[in-house]
Amino acid sequence: MGKVIVVTSGKGGVGKTTSAANLGTALAILGKTVVLVDADIGLRNLDVVLGLENRIVYTSMDVIDKQCELSRALIRDRRTDGLTLLAASQKNYKHHMQPAQMKAICDKLRSTHDYVLVDSPAGIEHGFRNARAGADEAIVVTTPDVSAIRDGDRIIGELQHARISPINLVLNRFSPELIRRGNMLDQEDVIDLLGIALLGIVPEDTGVIASTNRGIPLVYDETSTGAQAYMRIARRLIGQQVPIPDFEQKGLLTNIMNWFTRKS
Amino acid sequence: MSNSSIALRVYRDGLHLIIKPHLSITEIEAAIEKEMSRMNRPLTGVSVQIDLKSPILQDEEVAYLTSKLKEAYNLTVRGIAIADEPIPEPIAAAPTKHIISHAVNTESDNRDSEPSRIAPYTIRSGQTEDFPQGSLIIYGNVNSGAEVRSGGDIIILGALRGNAHAGMNGRLSSVIIAMDLVPAQLLQIGNYVKRPPIDPKSRGYPEIARIEADDIIVEKFVKL
Repeated sequence: MGKVIVVTSGKGGVGKTTSAANLGTALAILGKTVVLVDADIGLRNLDVVLGLENRIVYTSMDVIDKQCELSRALIRDRRTDGLTLLAASQKNYKHHMQPAQMKAICDKLRSTHDYVLVDSPAGIEHGFRNARAGADEAIVVTTPDVSAIRDGDRIIGELQHARISPINLVLNRFSPELIRRGNMLDQEDVIDLLGIALLGIVPEDTGVIASTNRGIPLVYDETSTGAQAYMRIARRLIGQQVPIPDFEQKGLLTNIMNWFTRKS
Repeated sequence: MSNSSIALRVYRDGLHLIIKPHLSITEIEAAIEKEMSRMNRPLTGVSVQIDLKSPILQDEEVAYLTSKLKEAYNLTVRGIAIADEPIPEPIAAAPTKHIISHAVNTESDNRDSEPSRIAPYTIRSGQTEDFPQGSLIIYGNVNSGAEVRSGGDIIILGALRGNAHAGMNGRLSSVIIAMDLVPAQLLQIGNYVKRPPIDPKSRGYPEIARIEADDIIVEKFVKL
């Protein structure tokens, strides 16, 4: 029996879809069978990020409408064994699917896959309720800014209300440079504010834009810092002990300055 | 009630009977009787302060009024004040018994007899925790975007970053205590409101918010 994990955030644009695509790909690279479920009906993106948009024949809506079997709607990613996508319908709206229908799909998928990653839409309304319906666990993606954190906090409350546990945090677009200048919340601040376990930190990586536009998830580029971060997170998901590196390594000058201020 | 010759008002220290100048003792008696008959329930066992304006009544007239209040309405006069300076705005007008009983009876700090509620979790953005019957104790944080309200005190064994409203029924002796009092939203006690600083800084020690001199003050929590 596989795990169903919803990837969500509350706020839009913090990297839910990018994280879902990269974590799914990373888990498949690590040898797991993974199905990525796009729950963003009407505003689907996961297919684009994965570079699978030209291969969609059936969507989850067709499965619900009994137009096709679930197994036939799954799109196999040819680059990595074990990675499949269940696309969302682009012509429907969120309310065309009911939470119970999503739960039924997730329950079927978990019997044939190690991981079912559900990419949630932004918001706390119907689309989010669909996305969380079949989930055992959740990954909350946030960026280190107060608006994303407040929305993340709201989402954590909603997830706890639905008794989804554990809820883990992925801190995305983390910029050591901005923290050094005191313009961004650091990881302790974020964890203190949200009070859930940190699964991983993804540093700001401009390579994400290029990877999205090309439809090649970042994790295939082993040299990118973002890719390495997603690989570490995937390893932690499968139970390996991988430490979170210290992104906030201070320069020699800062250390000397600190030494002086401590003395005085 | 402003055109009436007497007025009952609730201030922080309790009930005040305000008597306008240039009235005869019979006029005052009649006005008190009229005011009392407006109440839903009789005011009994409550102490009242009489505020007079000059020219003041004779001593024997005041003595008569005091005994009359005791006999007829069971009201104890706790003091007489000559208030020539403008009387501060009342915190609540007293047209109904309801408001008076709340403000006066709870003013004397019935914390012992009050129920309290423990919320052993963090209150997150969008969540609310209400307890109008008494005090609220939270084992966790009150995050930005969350709301906590209580009829009595609010004690947060964590950080207060959201909106807290203590004494929501008007008990102005209510306090808000937090291990880390860094609200990003309004701090309210009774009908007093305080806007927090733009960028609240954690001080590293517990703080208490309470009403003093017509304002909500926040200071280091030592003991109540």
